[in-house]
Amino acid sequence: MKSRIIALSAILILLLATSSGVANPGGKGDSNRDYTCGGSCHGDPSLSSASSAIIDVEMQSTAYSSTTTEISVSITNLDTSDNGLVGIFLLSSKNGNGDNPEDHGWTIIQDPNGGSSNYVEVVSSENQATVSWVLLAPEDLGVKEIYVSIHHGSYYNHNNKAFIGETDAITVNIEPIPENYPTLADGWTSPEERISGDSSTITVRTVNTESLMVYWRLSGESQSHEAIVEMISEQEWEVSLPATLGDTRIEYQMVATMGDFSNRMPWLSMGTSEPYFDGTSLGANLQSISFALIILGFMVSLQSWFAPRGVRKIIDNTAEVEESITDIQETSIPDSDNEYWSRLIKSEENPGWLWDPIENEWVADPAVTPGGDV
Amino acid sequence: MMFMTALHHLVVGLVAGSGVIMGICAILAWLSSYISNLESSKTTLDRAAYVASIFTLIVIPLAMISGYYSSTNSGGAMFYNKFLFSGIAFGFTSSYLVGRVRFGPELWKYSSLANLQMVSALFALTSIIILGSIGSKITLGESTLDILPFWPDFMNSIVINQWFSLFLVIIGLISVVISLRSSSMRFSLND
Repeated sequence: MKSRIIALSAILILLLATSSGVANPGGKGDSNRDYTCGGSCHGDPSLSSASSAIIDVEMQSTAYSSTTTEISVSITNLDTSDNGLVGIFLLSSKNGNGDNPEDHGWTIIQDPNGGSSNYVEVVSSENQATVSWVLLAPEDLGVKEIYVSIHHGSYYNHNNKAFIGETDAITVNIEPIPENYPTLADGWTSPEERISGDSSTITVRTVNTESLMVYWRLSGESQSHEAIVEMISEQEWEVSLPATLGDTRIEYQMVATMGDFSNRMPWLSMGTSEPYFDGTSLGANLQSISFALIILGFMVSLQSWFAPRGVRKIIDNTAEVEESITDIQETSIPDSDNEYWSRLIKSEENPGWLWDPIENEWVADPAVTPGGDV
Repeated sequence: MMFMTALHHLVVGLVAGSGVIMGICAILAWLSSYISNLESSKTTLDRAAYVASIFTLIVIPLAMISGYYSSTNSGGAMFYNKFLFSGIAFGFTSSYLVGRVRFGPELWKYSSLANLQMVSALFALTSIIILGSIGSKITLGESTLDILPFWPDFMNSIVINQWFSLFLVIIGLISVVISLRSSSMRFSLND
């Protein structure tokens, strides 16, 4: 009984798990993939349909062994979902396994997004997309085949189908490399990105190259500039490209020369990444609060230090008022009054009274209170 | 969170506006002691700076909270710097407000206190300008202060260990309390 429950539970879990693998409408990101993701759900005829897109591929029909070549893919008449996402495969077969061009001797130096994957996802614009790969041709001579396949969603896609398009084989004849042909060294790949603000050089390895010239431009610009190239050892060069900021992409093209022969290679590109940063939000909050409190404490101390005596009492003017009243009382007794009070005579018989001998009258002594106390 | 992004843009505008009013009015109030044409406006400038400093202290924390939850939060060094300069701006603005509350509008008659208030307002204003510039760098990739030849590199930041930051918070709190208590004791001795 227990084993049955376990078996049923396992089947139930497996059945439930199938629902999470239906489709990836947001894409899966750039990576190395076989045709239709190796026969996944997108390859299922009930879950896919033919795309209306037109795929044009431009590639030289002849390439020298182990030299760079470019394949340019232009896709038009696309009907994508509202995010405009298109997945594009560069393949060397349509078997469903071992379809990556690198499985057939090609080397991907750079994919359209700056990496080195055979599958990339791009956002289409105005129902079209144009991308290009830079490849190093295989060492094996003979005719090689290249395919391009796409898959995407659709705006009106009630059945959640994947729309798949593919080209026929594009044949490339790989010929032996001419003697002393200047090109890139086998295995060298373009750096995918540099840290923002980093102006350090990139190292390029070549073969049969007497001199190397490098031109650079920012992505989207047409005018190119010559970069500084320095040979650091035999067939190894340091190229100084300007630092980039934000999400800028810099493109560069190398021209390798041997004698009178020059090999102008395809444009490569390099992205810009944010530098590694180990600060956390909590740390930023704590540091911010600590700065605020320390500044406040310091400034309050300075205020106390600079405060003149009595400034705190500016609002409470009692002392000043009392002082001014005393002054008024003191100054309110004129000199003539002093003469008047000095002529008055105290009388022991009539305490609290003074005798004025000129006016012949008794005057109340101001130094004695009405009760008679002095 | 789209709502937070829109709110952040709104609140940042309020911080910049009130911060500039506080800074400019405080500097003009300080200048009025030296420029006779401004003497008649001193009270108005002082009150404007006073009210603006209160409003700035309310909106700076709102800007920090909305910025934390907005889509502009890249978690990078520039965002870290925004937090730090928010703290610095808050510190100087609160110093200005505390000074104004403690000494009243008469403080402008005492040159040393007036200078200190002016410095607080100036530093708060500078911090808010830098804050705005960092925000502009994050969202637009450029800022008007790019024309300066000595614009500091905000791609890096000074990161202090969290525990040490907590220690500094405690030290700061104690220093504020002691500063306020000692000054009140001194005044009561003077009474």
